[in-house]
Order: sequence, then C-alpha cells, then structure tokens
Amino acid sequence: MKRYIYINDDDLAQDLYCDNRISNRKYTIWNFLPKNLWEQFSRFMNQYFLLIACLQLWSLITPVNPASTWGPLIFIFAVSATKEAWDDYNRYLSDKKANEKEVWVVRKGVKKLIQSQDIHVGNIVWLRENDEVPCDLVLLGTADPLGLCFVETAAIDGETDLKTRVIPSACMGIDLELLHKIKGVIECPIPNKDIRRFDANMRLFPPFLDNDVCPLTIKNTLLQSCYLRNTEWACGVSVYTGNETKLGMSRGIAEPKLTAVDAMIDKLTGAIFVFQIVVVIVLGIAGNVWKNTEAKKQWYVEYPNEGPWYELLVIPLRFELLCSIMIPISIKVSLDLVKSLYAKFIDWDDQMVDLETGTRSNATNTAISEDLGQVEYILTDKTGTLTENKMIFKRCCIRGTFYGNENRDALSDVELLDAISTGSTDVIQFLKVMAICNTVVPIQSKTGAISYKALSQDEEALVRAAASLHMVFVNKNGNVLEINFNGLLLRYEVLDILEFTSDRKRMSVVVKCCLSGKIFLLSKGADEAILPHARTGQQTRTFSEAVEQYAQLGLRTLCLAWRELDYDEYQEWSLMFKEANSILVDREWRVAEVCQRLEQNFEILGVAAIEDRLQDGVPETISTLRKAGINFWMLTGDKQSTAIQIALSCNFISPEPKGQLLLINGKTEDEVCRSLERVLLTMRITNTEPKDVAFVVDGWALEISLKHYRKAFTELAILSRTAICCRVTPSQKAQLVELLKSCDYRTLAIGDGGNDVRMIQQADIGVGISGREGLQAARAADYSIGKFRFLTRLILVHGRYSYNRTAFLSQYSFYKSLLICFIQIFFSFISGVSGTSLFNSVSLMAYNVFYTSIPVLASVLDKDLSEKTVMQHPQILFYCQAGRLLNPSTFAGWFGRSLFHAIIVFVITIHSYAFEKSEMEEVSMVALSGCIWLQAFVVALETNSFTILQHLAVWGNLVAFYVINLIVSAIPSTGMYTIMFRLCRQPLYWTTIILITMAGMGPVLALKYFRYTYRSSKINILQQAERLGGPILSLGNIEPQLRSLEKDLSPLSISQPKNRNPVYEPLLSDSPSATRRSIGPGTPFDYFQSQTRLSSSYLRNSKDN
Amino acid sequence: MNSNTPSTSAGAPGSADSTAPRRNSKRPKYSRFTQQELPACKPILTPKWVISAFLLVSVVFIPIGVVSLFASRDVVEIIDRYETDCIPLDSRNDKVGFIQSRRDKACNRTLTVPKHMKQPIYVYYQLDNFYQNHRRYVKSRSDQQLRNPSNEDDTSSCKPEDTTANGMPIVPCGLIAWSLFNDTYNFTRNNQPVTLNKRDISWKSDRDHKFGKKVYPKNFQNNTLIGGDRLDSSKSLSEQENLIVWMRTAALPTFRKLYGKIEVDLQAGDVINVGLQNNYNTYSFNGKKKLVLSTTSWLGGKNDFLGIAYLVVGGLCFFLAMVFTIIYLVKPRQLGDPSYLSWNRNPGGR
Repeated sequence: MKRYIYINDDDLAQDLYCDNRISNRKYTIWNFLPKNLWEQFSRFMNQYFLLIACLQLWSLITPVNPASTWGPLIFIFAVSATKEAWDDYNRYLSDKKANEKEVWVVRKGVKKLIQSQDIHVGNIVWLRENDEVPCDLVLLGTADPLGLCFVETAAIDGETDLKTRVIPSACMGIDLELLHKIKGVIECPIPNKDIRRFDANMRLFPPFLDNDVCPLTIKNTLLQSCYLRNTEWACGVSVYTGNETKLGMSRGIAEPKLTAVDAMIDKLTGAIFVFQIVVVIVLGIAGNVWKNTEAKKQWYVEYPNEGPWYELLVIPLRFELLCSIMIPISIKVSLDLVKSLYAKFIDWDDQMVDLETGTRSNATNTAISEDLGQVEYILTDKTGTLTENKMIFKRCCIRGTFYGNENRDALSDVELLDAISTGSTDVIQFLKVMAICNTVVPIQSKTGAISYKALSQDEEALVRAAASLHMVFVNKNGNVLEINFNGLLLRYEVLDILEFTSDRKRMSVVVKCCLSGKIFLLSKGADEAILPHARTGQQTRTFSEAVEQYAQLGLRTLCLAWRELDYDEYQEWSLMFKEANSILVDREWRVAEVCQRLEQNFEILGVAAIEDRLQDGVPETISTLRKAGINFWMLTGDKQSTAIQIALSCNFISPEPKGQLLLINGKTEDEVCRSLERVLLTMRITNTEPKDVAFVVDGWALEISLKHYRKAFTELAILSRTAICCRVTPSQKAQLVELLKSCDYRTLAIGDGGNDVRMIQQADIGVGISGREGLQAARAADYSIGKFRFLTRLILVHGRYSYNRTAFLSQYSFYKSLLICFIQIFFSFISGVSGTSLFNSVSLMAYNVFYTSIPVLASVLDKDLSEKTVMQHPQILFYCQAGRLLNPSTFAGWFGRSLFHAIIVFVITIHSYAFEKSEMEEVSMVALSGCIWLQAFVVALETNSFTILQHLAVWGNLVAFYVINLIVSAIPSTGMYTIMFRLCRQPLYWTTIILITMAGMGPVLALKYFRYTYRSSKINILQQAERLGGPILSLGNIEPQLRSLEKDLSPLSISQPKNRNPVYEPLLSDSPSATRRSIGPGTPFDYFQSQTRLSSSYLRNSKDN
Repeated sequence: MNSNTPSTSAGAPGSADSTAPRRNSKRPKYSRFTQQELPACKPILTPKWVISAFLLVSVVFIPIGVVSLFASRDVVEIIDRYETDCIPLDSRNDKVGFIQSRRDKACNRTLTVPKHMKQPIYVYYQLDNFYQNHRRYVKSRSDQQLRNPSNEDDTSSCKPEDTTANGMPIVPCGLIAWSLFNDTYNFTRNNQPVTLNKRDISWKSDRDHKFGKKVYPKNFQNNTLIGGDRLDSSKSLSEQENLIVWMRTAALPTFRKLYGKIEVDLQAGDVINVGLQNNYNTYSFNGKKKLVLSTTSWLGGKNDFLGIAYLVVGGLCFFLAMVFTIIYLVKPRQLGDPSYLSWNRNPGGR
C-alpha cells in the first residue's frame, strides 16, 4: 500500500487525505454521555448496581426509597464522568492550541500564514528556528547551504540530543525563490507508526527535472512535534497530517492493568453475589410459603386471594433488593480514592528524589500500587538501570601497548601523552578515528567552549577523550569536519556514513582528507564485528586479549580500525551504496550487505575501553529485595561477558562456591535442546541445596528455547530464582515477561531505554528509570524513579503498605455491608418474611456513604510496621506476596465476624427494646447505633498506628453520627422526627449500646489477643519487637548471625564436583589467581578483589564460539 | 599545546554535570503528612493491657447488671391473658365466628394487685403474633394525609384501604388505621370506678406534627369489610390518641401499646375488676391478647434481659481475664522475640 503525494498541488490532494487537525479526544460533546455511560456500564459491578437501582423503582418490591441507591450511584457515575470530561476537555484545549497555531504555508505559490489545522498533504510548510513541526514533512530546503538542519526529537523518542536531518539529493541546490514553485510526486508508504523508518521515493517535475528517482529515508524527514534547532529556516512538504502522522499513529491508550488484589476482590465479590442469590432464593421460598400459610390468616394484611402472575417473584425480588447492599457500592469509590492517595504518597516521597537531577518518583498509573507489594519477579535491564550509563573512557590498547592501569586512566597515562607528543603514527591514527568516526555534532558556544551532542554515549565518551588528548573535534561544517591537533587544523570531508545497526555491530565513515585527497574508511565496533575482518597478516591476538582483559574489569570495549581506499574502489562501491539506499523493500538488509563489502581488510588500530559504572546502592538493593523473596532476571542486549561481570559485581549472582552459573548455548536446535536439558537436570538436583543457581542464556538460544522447548524453558524459569539473558531483543524481553506472567507470577519490569518499553508495558508493573537514555521508558512505565535503588522503597514501603491497607479496606467494606445485611435478614424472620427493611432509606444510604466509609479511609495512614523494621526484615514482604492478608480464608474471618456482630446487635436490640418499647423507628435506630459503635471499635482494633487523623476519623465519625441524626431528628417531616432526642435521653439506650459494643468486641479482642500472643505471625512478632523497644536492639545482631550461619553451610557445597561434564558446567571457580586457564569446554572463572569493590570477573575461553 | 587547553576544558561540561553540586531546586517542602510520618501511637496487645481491660469491663458490668436487675424487679406488673377466657364456652370451637358475630362481647376479669403499685400505673394491651411490621402493613399509610387536610387525596400508598367503593378518599387511610385495636377496658376497685387517663398516652411530637389538628376522619370504616375500631369524626386526628399510639407501628410481632394511665396508687391485695369489650379479632391467626398493668423504673418496664446480659458479659470478661492470667503465668511468652522469626532459624528458606 502506497500513497502518492503531489507536491504543492493545491487542487489535487485536498480531499484525498485528512487535514492536519489533531484530535486526542475520546469524546465529542454529542457522544460524551452515551459513550461514557456505555464504558462505565461495561463493568460488572456497575451493571449490578444499575439493575438494583432499576428494580428499586418498582414500588411494590422496593424496601427502601430508590434514592438510597440512585443517589450514590449517580454520585459515583458523576464523579467518574466528570473526571473523564475534565481530562478530555484538557486534551481538547491542548489540541486546539496545537491546531490553531499559525504556520507559514505556500498556497497558490504565495507564502501565507494559516492555522496549523488547515495544512493538507502536499503543502509546503516553512519553519523557523525553534518552531515546532506541525506535521510529518519531507525536507525540501534549509538555510544551510549543504541542506542540513538539526532537530530535537524529545517528544517522539525522549532523546534529548540533536539529530541531523538532510534534504534529499534531488533538492540540493534549488534556489530559495524557486522552492515556492517546486512540483513533484512523492511515493511513500501508508501512514504507520514506525518512527525509525521512512522508505520513500521522490521525483520532481519540470523545471526541476531530475530523471533520477531520489530515495528518501527518515533522515530526510521532520516528524510532527519535533523542534527545529540551530537552523535558521527549513521548509518541507507535508506527507502525513493530523492523526495520521507517525506520532499520531503511535499514540494509543494503554490497556488498564488489573492488580492481583483487584482480581481477588472481584472473586470475593462473585462469591458474595452467589451467597446473596442463595439467601434470596431461600428467603424467597420461605416468604412465599409464609405468605400462603400464615399471612392469609393475618386479616389485617388483606392479602388478595388471587394475585397477579408475577406474585411468586415479588418476595424474592424484595429480598434481592434488601440484600443488594451486601456488595457495597462504596467499595469502588473508596478504593479509587485510596489508590490515588497511595500514588500521591509515592510522588511526595522525599526519600525517593534523585538529588543529582532533582527528579522525583512519579506514579503514572495510580491503580496498581498494591501489586508492588506482591511482586515475585523483577526483570531488569542492565545498561542505565543497574549501571549509570555514564560512559568514561578508561583504558586503551594501541598496537599491543596497554595504556591506563588501576591507578590511572589512560587519559592521564604519561606513556600515552608521551606517545602523542612524539607523534607516534599509530596513536595519532587511533585518536583520529576516535574523533572522526562518529555522528557527534560539536556545538561551539559564544565563549568558545565546545560541547558535543551525540546519539550514543560511547561516541561522546570517545570524542571527549580524544579532545583531552589534544585531538579536538572543533567544528562540523556541513560534510567537512575540522579537527584541531596540537594547533594544527585538519579537515576531512565525510563522504559516506555507514550507520550502526545492532546486527552489524559496527559503524564506519568514509572520509576524504582535504589536504591529501586520500580516501579513508574509519571503523569502530564490537570485537567480533571488527577483528575477524582484519587484513590478512595482521595479528589480532593482542587485541582479543585486550578485549578480554577489559571485559574482566567490566569495561565496554570498542575496536578501532581503518583502511585506505582506492579512488576507483570507492567510486564503484559508492554507486552500489546509493542504489541500495534507494531500494524500498529490505533496504536495511541490502545496505548492510553493501557495507560489508567495504568493511574488510581492516588495519586494526587498537581497543578502547569505556567504563559504565554501577549505580549507587545497586548491590544492596538487589540483596535486600532478594531477601524479600523476589527473584531477579537480568535481560540485557549486552554481551554475555559484560552481563555476567556486572551481575557478579552487583550481587546478582554469587561467586563460586555459593553460586553456580549454568549456561544454555548452542547454535542449532539440538545443541540448545541438549544444553537446556542439562541445565534443567542440574537445576532439579541442586534445587534443594542452599545455593544460588542461575542460568545464562543468550538471545539466539532463547529464541530457539521459546520456540521449540517452551515447556522445558518454563520449568526452568520456575525453578530458577536468577537468570541472565544476554543479547536479547526488545521483543524477547517482552516474551520473557509474558512467559513468567503465564506461570501466574507477578512481574515487575524495570528499564530505562526505548528497548525496554515493550517489556515495561507487558509486565504487571512497569518501572522506568528517568535516566540518560531519554524518557521513553519512564513515559511508558507505571512508575518512574530516578535511581535503581529507590526500587527497595517503592516495593517494601509503598507496595507493602498499599497492599496491607487495601486488604483491610476491601474486607472491611464487605464486613460492614454484610453486617447491616444480616440484620435485615434476621429482621425478616420476625416480620413475616415479607421483606420489610428495618432501617429507613436515609440511614441505609448514610451508613454506606458516610458513617462507615470515612473511618476506614483513614486507614491509608495505617502502618503495621515502621519503615525501618521493614527494611531490616525484608522477608516480611512474603505476607504480601503470598496474599496472606486478603484471601478467601481471611475473608471468611471477616464474614464470620459480621455474622457474629449482626447476631449480637439484633438479639440485644430486640430483647432490650421489647414490648412497649418495640417502636419501629426506635428499634431501627438502636440497631443502627449498635452497628456504628461496633464498626468504630473494629476499625480501632484493626488499626496498628493511630495518628491524629485516624483518631479524628474514627471517633469524630461516631460523634458525627449523633450530630447528623440529631439534626435529622429535628426536622418534623422526616420519619425520624424526635427519635434521636428521645433515645439519647433514655438510660436504656446507652446501656444497650454499651452492652452491644462490649458483647461484640470482647470475643473479637480475646481472639485477636490470643492469636497475637500465642499464634503470632511474623508481622506480630516484629510489631512487638519494634514497640516494646527492648528486643529491637538485638535485631541488629541478626545479620552477622545469619552470615556466620551461611559460612557454616558453605563448606558443604564445596564438595560439589568441579568439572563433571556435561551435566556440570561450573562457570565460576574460586581460584584466587587472575591467570587464565583453559580446561576443556567447562570454562573456569576467576575473581579477584579490586581495591574499591569486589570486582569478580571471569575469563572466557578465547574463540569458544 | 597551549591552544588546546581551552578545548580540553570544553569537553568537560558534560561530565561536570554529574559531579556538580547537588541541586535541590525541585525539592518540595517537607511535610509529615506527605511523608507518612505523622506522629502515631502504636498500641499493641500486651497481656497486661488486655487482662486489665477485661477486668475493668467485668468490674463495671457486673454492678450495672445488678442495678438494672434490681430496677427490673422493682417494677410491679400484672398480666392478664384473656383472649380465650373471654369467649363464651359455647363458642370456643368457633372463636372466629364468635368474634365476627354481633353477639355481646362484654367480659369481666378480676385482677389482684400483688404488691403496692405507685402511680402512674400504665395500662397496656399486648398482642402476640401480630405482624405490625409486615411489609404490606407497615407501608400502608399516608403521612401527608395525616398531617395536612389539603392532602386528603394523597392515598396512593394506602392500598388496599385507600378509597371507598365509590372512590372517596378514606381519612385516615391505609391498613394500619383500618385495623385499629378496639377492645375497651373499664377498671373498678371495690365497686368504685378507677379513672383511666387516656390523654397524653401518645408522643407529643406525633400530636403536634404528625397528626393534623384540622384533619378529621372521613369515610372511615365505611367499606363492607370492617377492620377495627371506628373513629369519632368530630374529633381531629391529633386528639384521637388511641389511633396515634396504634400508628406507631411495632418492630416486633409481640408488642404492648399504651391504653391509658391509672393515676392512683394501688395497694397490695386490691382486687380490680376489669370490664372489657372483647372486640378485636386475633383468633383467625391464633394471636394472644393480654391486659398489662405496670409501673415503671428508670430503665422502663419489667425486663430482666438487660440485667442478665450485663451479668453474663461481665462474668465472661472476668473469666477471660482469669484464663489469660493463668495462661500468662503458666506459659509466659516473650513478646517480640526475634528467634520466633523463621528466617532467623532457617536462613535461605522461607
């Protein structure tokens, strides 16, 4: 599918494609009400409430005023609808602002200022510096004589550095005046959301006749919402407009995530619903039987002898309505409210502020905080997540000479500086490649200082390092680079850039020396992408050794190489390259193939090593969360050696003998299968031992495993608490998340880059680190944090508290509605099973909405354990993970409690208000007061920590109950007129209430005390320890004890066989020396202590692949 | 060399970014609420606290129980069940037929006062198995109509006793009013009539606000089916106190309603003759009818339940306190002992 765009043709493409009106709105004024209501009613709970509310309109069966349901229902709907409407209105405003922005567009050959929304496909749009691009454009001209311009694409991919865009070759050199009149056709794909690709062709019409079809790439486009920078003006033809732009297409509303707690609440709601139906059926039958036997004798009821056909249904439906409050209408509102407060607490948390950048943590998704407390697997990215992604050039190896050691960086290595000043050609060539072979843009400020804008952190580090070694990349003037070497200005013209792709793993530039006219190919890339292509005769052993040595230190390595090209060779290749670049299908693959032809016979110059430091507190974070029972998987696109090295240094895996690494590898299906089975076998054997066993898998083997051996791999995933997956693609990351989710594990994915977005969206909880790779991940994530170490607090503090609080709140909501419901049911037995409501409508509504909702809302401040205790004993998270606080059995406890309390309230009320006092309104109010008192004490008993707000909510609510009822009792027209005044004057009322409270709470307190003291849970023990003060001091001693215990255990596992191939593949050995050994296929690893941190590393057999 | 020095530093700003002094510009004001650090009191259930709470409750409850039991015992109550005895022997096989017939329903009962009864002595009638709380019954009234003469057509909720056969609204409408209790009692002591005060037996608020002073009974008991008592159509509803009392529906199927007050003391051994008209039909549903004369205490009428319940709860609390004390002494348990944490005993496992 293609679209053809006629440039600057006012008549043609006008109506063919949509205009540039952006609309992010979900609703219009007309469809808002129906659409919003439809959405709200697609939820079961709402359908249920609506059904109940409708049934209540039938006055024959309604026990209470329909307002008691309609009121809250309309309120809830109004709140959600208002929120939606407000959000939509804000979107409308921002759309409007964007749509009405004025831009210069060529209309009928004249530049005119029109509103952005009136741009059509094919129009020529003019932009000035710092303008926002209104739609997707293909560049036609810029102020730059060479047709370059710079854009900031932060709005699209979150990358803050500037990107170069260039006009298509066909437009090169067109006069400024003629740009208005340019005509032509562009053939481009139908709108899609791929922001990295734009495979199109352009052909200009006379007088700009250019027989060539000119290829267009993403480099020739300006995408919507980018900003034009450092360029005076630019103009382009619009190709995609409005919601069909690349940005518009990639906009999407993420699917709402449902937490485990929500799922459990839904399940319990379902159970209660079933219970309700049973009650309704039983009472309905009983009611009909009573009606036909007893009620016919009760002449004063005047039952007609013959009723309508639906008569049998009337009583069951009445009971259905009477019991409808079993499913509390308030639970949804309360939960939404507290959940947004949990999210706010995360936003507000001062201990989760990244002090370096001042970034706060942010909860984008406010609905899933409880899930944080139930995380079982954390899948983490490596670069930028565990590490800082701040590259520093540390060491290098040039022609066999190693520069830089433990004490000094290469930058300050005297030897290297000497070599530079003496003019060693190799070293200078090395520096040149560092400075030239990149896509960095130097920006010279007015003071003369140069800053670099780079796509990749590695390139920036190299250019900086070169600059400090006197090879300063000064200026990029179009295609000409200027380099200042010791005061000498060197100029190079860039002829071609062979871009980096993750498949090629290298990038090259072809430059022409302006002085000598010679053409060079300069390359840099991963060792496996460069070293095999060395010119015949060159020894690459030293380089591969250097690579290994640097990898041991956890450094990232890049091999640098160059080659001089013949003029003819280049010419020939250049044609092929151009051709490959204008292909529409499979362009990437074709280009790679052409590049490969040039990138060989390298003269290897050396190896540069770049350090990517671990973030602060990563090892501690990982070990704390480990203790909390969370399993870690590392998914990285990096190579195996670096991944394992980083894993070791951040406690991810333990060195031998405590830990064991199992490797899954292989090139073919069979090899992978065998290896997988071997690992699985080992895993099963060692599963009982107190050992950290981890498996390592690379992208290829993973691909095969997931495709063909999914079952075995799933079993492995369940067995293994730790895994390292290297060389994985973004989609594989997402697949792994999917795999763990399919095993019913709660997963949390954390990452910082664009390649983590899919994994983050896939996981139950996505956490983005607002780091240096841009904000893409943070935007897609549910939570964004500044540093990896905040994860501890996010999970242990916020997640845990949220879970505990929601568990209490939801069960309590059911408890209180069941309580009132049971009383209604009991009452029906003494009212002829006729479905009379004991409570009046006002009380019922207020009971659910005020009296019982407000105290429990204060539970969002409840803390069962102090943050410090939780941090010291992360194991306590187990209670949340296993869902110990909200499950059918805890719920049964609450169910029983409400049944018990209902019996207490009912029995005491009808016995103390018997005979001459059995007046309906009074009895109803006594029972209601009893419920209110009981629920206040229940909340008080279940609260672990009382702040002033909780006291206010619980006891203030009790006072408010009396105030409200006294006020209502003062209004003559209500049924309750004078009732409350009358009751408050009776000693009998107060004695009854006290009796209800004590009789209801006594057994609950006794039971709780007994369990608390003699069947105490770990939480209780820690609470006691924390609050009694005494033993808490000894808690600090646990850690060393634990360690010593572990030490005692460790000799046991030493006896495991070292090299029992093929089942055993101990990748880590405890050999203290740093020398390399190669004993068969089982590769030994070494670790040694560096002066700063335990820097365990491993050696890999050379050429083992 | 010199020319390079500025550019060397030029490369630096990027890396200097990280080592730059910490910027706290975005740090908001610290608040104890936002940090969830409000000062909190964290009570825990220590044995001392729980045992003393239970003891305290029992210490408070037992005396209250004793006092209310005494209060209840002080009340003198005479109950006379008469629904069977007031049926002539020849009609006992067909009580319903008797009560629906036009025969003379007069009946004489004799009560003996067991103890001195101080005035005021309340006279109640008690009905058993009478479902004033039945849904059909309890809804069948119109408060608007009772309150205001202009709302007399407001009878929609009163079905099936809303209008007469020819569509005239009934005032007061509805089943409750229609089934008004119509037994009457006259008391004589030593052949001297004992005055029975039937005023002020209803709630003042009902007389003043619920039952209109200008609302007069209309078309009441004019239908073919006669329910209970008739009303004097010359008296406004707010003066018809027996109706007002009756329309305060009872929540329980067994209830007493005030009939009147005797405002003289009755001595122990006094014999009181009650002349009653046994008009009300409780026979079709086997309901009992009782005449109750009772004094009152600060807790109301004679009702032992509260006192006993207080004693039971107090006793149970005392018992629990004792049990907990014994367990505490016999099997002391160190609260918050970290050795109970399983992961301290068994590292690695959970």
